[in-house]
Amino acid sequence: MVGKNRYFLYLVILNMLTNVIIFVPKYLIQYRFDGLILSMLLATVIGIGLMYLDTIVYARFPGQGLPEILDLGLNKPLKIFVLVGFSFFWFIAGLISLLGYIDILHRIINPELSKVWLLVAFLVVLGFVIQLPTRKVMYLLEIILLLNVPFIGFVFIKALTSDYLNWDSIFEVVTHAATVPKLNPVAIASYVFSGYANIIVFNRLLKEKIKSINFVIIFFVSLLTLFTSVFIPIGMHGSDGVQEYIYPWIMTADSLRLPYSPVERVVFLFLMLYINITLISVSVHWHVAFELMKGVYKSKKSKTNNRLLMAFFFGLSILAVLRFDFMHPELISMYWLIARFFVEIIAIIGFFFFLRRKI
Amino acid sequence: MSHYRKLLGVLFILLLLPTTLSGCGFKDIDKRIFVVSVGVDPAKNSDKKFLVTLKLAIPNVQEVSNEFLIIAEEGDTIAEAVRIMKAKVDKELDFSHAKLIVYNEKILKPEIEKNLYYWFIRRRDFQEMSWVAIGKPSAQEVLKLKPKSERLPSNSLFLILGKDGSESAYVIAEFLFDFKKRFSEKGLDPLLPIIEVKKNIFEIDKVGLLDKKGLKLQLSPKETMILNFFVNEEPKTALKIENGEQSFVIDIQGVKTNYKLMTDSLKQPYIKVDIKLQGRIEEALFDVSNKNLRQYEKMANTFTKKQVRDVLVKLQKSKVDPLGFGLRYRSRHFEKDDWETWERLYPEIKFKVNADVQIKDTGLVE
Repeated sequence: MVGKNRYFLYLVILNMLTNVIIFVPKYLIQYRFDGLILSMLLATVIGIGLMYLDTIVYARFPGQGLPEILDLGLNKPLKIFVLVGFSFFWFIAGLISLLGYIDILHRIINPELSKVWLLVAFLVVLGFVIQLPTRKVMYLLEIILLLNVPFIGFVFIKALTSDYLNWDSIFEVVTHAATVPKLNPVAIASYVFSGYANIIVFNRLLKEKIKSINFVIIFFVSLLTLFTSVFIPIGMHGSDGVQEYIYPWIMTADSLRLPYSPVERVVFLFLMLYINITLISVSVHWHVAFELMKGVYKSKKSKTNNRLLMAFFFGLSILAVLRFDFMHPELISMYWLIARFFVEIIAIIGFFFFLRRKI
Repeated sequence: MSHYRKLLGVLFILLLLPTTLSGCGFKDIDKRIFVVSVGVDPAKNSDKKFLVTLKLAIPNVQEVSNEFLIIAEEGDTIAEAVRIMKAKVDKELDFSHAKLIVYNEKILKPEIEKNLYYWFIRRRDFQEMSWVAIGKPSAQEVLKLKPKSERLPSNSLFLILGKDGSESAYVIAEFLFDFKKRFSEKGLDPLLPIIEVKKNIFEIDKVGLLDKKGLKLQLSPKETMILNFFVNEEPKTALKIENGEQSFVIDIQGVKTNYKLMTDSLKQPYIKVDIKLQGRIEEALFDVSNKNLRQYEKMANTFTKKQVRDVLVKLQKSKVDPLGFGLRYRSRHFEKDDWETWERLYPEIKFKVNADVQIKDTGLVE
């Protein structure tokens, strides 16, 4: 908690907040009568376990990111393969939250504005942020979290104390707790914890060992996030009907009323807060992707290479937004969420054995 | 060279592509007209199924500005009728301020078509917290009424249903999202307030109860108030204790209700209902005295007990469950077939009502 340890906490909390946008509640709700609760508990154990392993590995290299660590001694083709592979993965991670949020804005705020223009508006900001030094990205993350989390907390509390939150619906789901956990919900729920993975670049800022009190905090906060983000929509929209909504949380925010505030509909407050959260989440992911790619080419200061890389990122995302109109963004994100789980496990185990032996 | 030109051409097309997608873009507020309420009636003059009515607010800077425009169109679906209505007004119809949806009673009997409420949820511009109500004699009549005390179109209904203005225990408001939830949730049935047009005022003191299909039962104002003790624990009301010449009225200040299902390992399952009322005597047909408060409380208890029981039995007889007894049963039982068990139990279950009326004093007069 003290000192620079809080940077680690921010990275983890960021993912807990974005889970609402990238369909995690929606998929978990599908399994509400089918092993949801045990899956979530299992995901908590696995998520925190992986997080702990990963911090042990990186604690051996204080102040160094993956590109710097690999520079110490790994043959070049393998290094390039690892860096490009991870970079691509982080890029997709950012892209999926970006496209998910653009879809929400497009549907709810202004369906007449094309998605491409919405994306371009985001890209202008992102292009500026992801090139910043790692330290400054972290400062931005800290500021945005401090400004937004209290309001997001307010929306959550408002929902939790709503008269229309039916606790019987929630308990009805709890009575189905004794069903065997399934792989898919475990994989999806573990997304909430995977913010720690950004440590592969942000370890540059972590000079001290992460104290175990952080894991205790993360354990409780994550359980709370996971359970509220699934059970509040169930309580508001019923255990039998909630799965009909594509965006359970947008519907829940729209079901809250602030009669004495300037804007009566909470959904607009909610969307405004999540513009910031999505923006910084994508910035963090793409910053990691960007820095990893930068580790591939030698001349770190090469401006042409950086520009080419940015053009590649932006071109790919524009292409994606054009193509995704014809597919289901929510399905893609489900496959990605599940794939991410396995890649994460393999990567952490790889790090754990490999980074110890080599250096 | 030609390669570059091709590349440039592709880039140029890519840049132009978004402009073709953007359609009409953002419309200014002076080119929009705001729908404040929507009514659905059965069609009268054609073989179409429904008559959809929209109430449009006319912006106007006078002191009393509840001017409005009513447009109506018949159609087999709401969407169809609304599209035709778009051609009737000069501005873009904007539904983002439509806060009231009124159904004609006949629409809900014997069965409401699902699309009639899904349409509002499916569309992005309707608020999830629009109010839903039954309109009598018709939805259109409710929309057409212009009460004297109203300042903005439809605002008087928003104030009543939102309890921002008048607070009445006879009004049970229902939001769109909750209405939809109650249709899908097994063991919790929908209920809608009934808005009646009486000459120049609205009368909202009854509630219509639905099962998963349509309107089953309408409660009288008094029964509505008792139901509201359970739904909202709404205290701001007066309860008349009828006892011949010994009748008196309690001004209720606090309500607490609770129920517990006693169904396990019992020959005769029952629902234990506790109702706790607090208040003071406001009016009496006889001389009341602070000394005899206990005696009045006893009278009030027996009376309330019977009233509450009658309402609950009435719900049970009509096979509706707006209070969610069934959901409570499901949420406390772990078996897979708990809902089937409850369906068997509910028609025969007994109610044991405990009333606890606390009368603080007889008001300012001894």
